[in-house]
Parts: sequence; C-alpha cells; structure tokens
Amino acid sequence: MSNRTISQEYLKGLWEENPVFRQLLGMCPTLAVTNAMINGLAMGLATSFVLIFSSLVVSSIKKLIPSQVRIASYIVIIASFVTIADRFLAAFFPPLSKNLGPYVPLIVVNCIILGRQEAFSSKNTVGRSLTDAVGMSTGFIFALLVLSAIREILGMGTFFGLPVMGVWFKPWVIMVLPAGAFITLGILLGLFLFIEHKTKVRS
Amino acid sequence: MSLFARMIAVLTFVGLLSGGFLATVGHLTKDRIALNKQKEIEQAIVSVVPGTQSSKKIYEEEDLAVYGGKDEHGRLLGFAIQASGIGFQDKIIIMLGINPAITQINSLAVLEQTETPGLGARIVDRGSFLQFWENKDCGQPLSLRKPPASSKQDLGPSEINTITGATISSEAVLNTVNVSLARIKELLKEGKLSSEEGDVK
Repeated sequence: MSNRTISQEYLKGLWEENPVFRQLLGMCPTLAVTNAMINGLAMGLATSFVLIFSSLVVSSIKKLIPSQVRIASYIVIIASFVTIADRFLAAFFPPLSKNLGPYVPLIVVNCIILGRQEAFSSKNTVGRSLTDAVGMSTGFIFALLVLSAIREILGMGTFFGLPVMGVWFKPWVIMVLPAGAFITLGILLGLFLFIEHKTKVRS
Repeated sequence: MSLFARMIAVLTFVGLLSGGFLATVGHLTKDRIALNKQKEIEQAIVSVVPGTQSSKKIYEEEDLAVYGGKDEHGRLLGFAIQASGIGFQDKIIIMLGINPAITQINSLAVLEQTETPGLGARIVDRGSFLQFWENKDCGQPLSLRKPPASSKQDLGPSEINTITGATISSEAVLNTVNVSLARIKELLKEGKLSSEEGDVK
C-alpha cells in the first residue's frame, strides 16, 4: 500500500517517477511517434485512455484475480481498451489513425500500462490507482509533447503544424527521422539527470 | 472453490466479458470506418478526374481497381485507377486520373504511404512531386528526370521530376503508374473497361 497523500500520488508521475524520463518505460511509442506534435498528443491521449481504464478495472477486481493468472488477465483487459481506442480513432479521426499506423495496437505492450497494473493498481485502492494512472498519463503526455515539440520545430520548422520559424530556416531532416528521436531523448535524459543532480547537491 | 477452478473461472470470465464488449464496439464503429474509407476513395476520384458527379467501380483485380468518373449527363470524363506498389518501407497506394482515351494523365493522388517523413513522404506533396504528374502524356511509359529540372516547363511531355533524396520512393510511384497504365491498356483492348451500364463487371 502506498502511503503518499493523494496530490503526491498524482504529482509523482509528472517528475519524480515520470514514466519516460525517470522510469524509461514505453520507449517504443516515445521514439516512434514523436516526429510531429499532433501524433505525440494523439498517442499520449490514446495511451492515457487505456492506462486510466485498465487501472480502474484492475484495481476494482484485484481481489478476484488469482495471482497465477494476473498477468494474463491484465493483458486481456489492456488489449480490450487498446482495441476500443484503435477503432475509435479509425472511426472518428481517420487521418490520425493513419499517421499512428501500427503504434496504436502496440499500446498493448507498452510497459507503462502493464507496469502500473503490476506495481500499483493490483495493490492499491480504486481511488489511488485512478490518481496514479492520471498522474502517469499526464507525465507521459508531457514527455511526448516535449520530445515532439523539439523534433517538429527543428525538423519541420512548425509547431502543431503552424510555421514558427522564419523563411531563413532550413529544416533539419534528421530530427524527424528515427536518429533524431534517439538524439533528442538522450539529450533530454542527460539534462533531467543534470537538473536533479544540481538540486540534490544544493539541498 | 479450488485454485485451479478459480483460475479457469476468472480467465474465462475476463475473456468473455472483453470479447462481448469488443464485439459491441466493433459493431458500432464498423459502418463508420467503412464509410470513411469509401469517402476517401470518392474524394480521390473527384480530385483526379475533375468534374466527376458519379463514379463507379468498373474493374477490380489484385493491386488494381478502375473507377469510371461521369459528369451529370452520364458522359465518361475519365478513369481513376487505384493501384498499389512497393515503396521504400511498405505499400504505396495511388489514385491516377486519366482521360477516357488513356493518352493523358489528369493528375495523381497518393492514398496511403509510409515513406520516410521529410524525404520519401514528400510524394504526397503537390509542390515537390504531385504537380509534375498533371497533364502528362501517357501514350508511352513515363520516366523520371534526375537530377530534377529546375522548372516544370523544362520537363518532357512524359517526364517527371525526381524528389531529391527520395529516388526510391519516386521510382516506386513511377513503376506503379507505368505498370498500371500498361495493364489498363491491355484491359481496354480486351474490352473489359466499357463504362456502359450493361457491361459493368
């Protein structure tokens, strides 16, 4: 059982235990879909939907599931919500669904979601699990937006599709390619560790 | 209940519940998804055969579908060919608009592609690629101009500018167009492309 206050439970997902920058989970979507901000946001929202509802279901039926079959049950629950998200995008946002391609079905194996069920929802109350899921989702969306903003601005000179750089700007094509994702993530991870180190030294 | 029975019961219950749930969601979104696909094809037909009021699929085989676009008087304005070929990463699906005599290309649209963003993905961009396909002569196979000509006027009647840095994607589109043009000329000779009502296959 967690003994944090509810607001701490929410805030830990943003920084202290940020799924991308601190736990290094969910790297596949983080690297793959952050070539444009709209894709990053859509992936973040789809993952949040799956995470929040899976946490809700898992924490409410945790007592019923024998521990021997818990992983299988979690995966079935997660996969159901992923399929719903995928069908919903295809039905109502076809261009987004096209851009995200195979990455939406791959949310099933996003370790953030299974990780939160195993590490948190299976041991905590429904309310706490929900707060934790919302916090982790916010942290994940935040990470995807930071990454995709850097890549989109440098790689295409646009911010959410709107041109923000002057005519002098020559897009760095590498930033929208896979290599740009690794470079940006590496620099960001280093930067965040550096900030943390500084604040620790000071206190 | 023994543990074994409980394991089976829980997994069965979870599986059944989500199965039922998914069947409902699938049923509710099925029509809309099909409609989106159809709308996309219809829009592409109108964009490559301008003036189309009604369109009809008149031929279909693997990797090729031919639609006839008609104006409000039922006069055939041209054919829209939906064809697919292998690009740099995955299938590229295009829609090619040609006149009824198959001598001229109206324009080209790309329906689906997963080429490299910023490079091959520029095949969907009018400024860097699609504009070169407009009003091209397709009596003979088309060819790519590499390095690209600086102005559209410098290109031959059946020449297309290559996208710098994306030769493979440009070639993939070119090959798909040439293959489907050759095929559609064959089909016309065999008399399988009549747009008259009675002949619709």
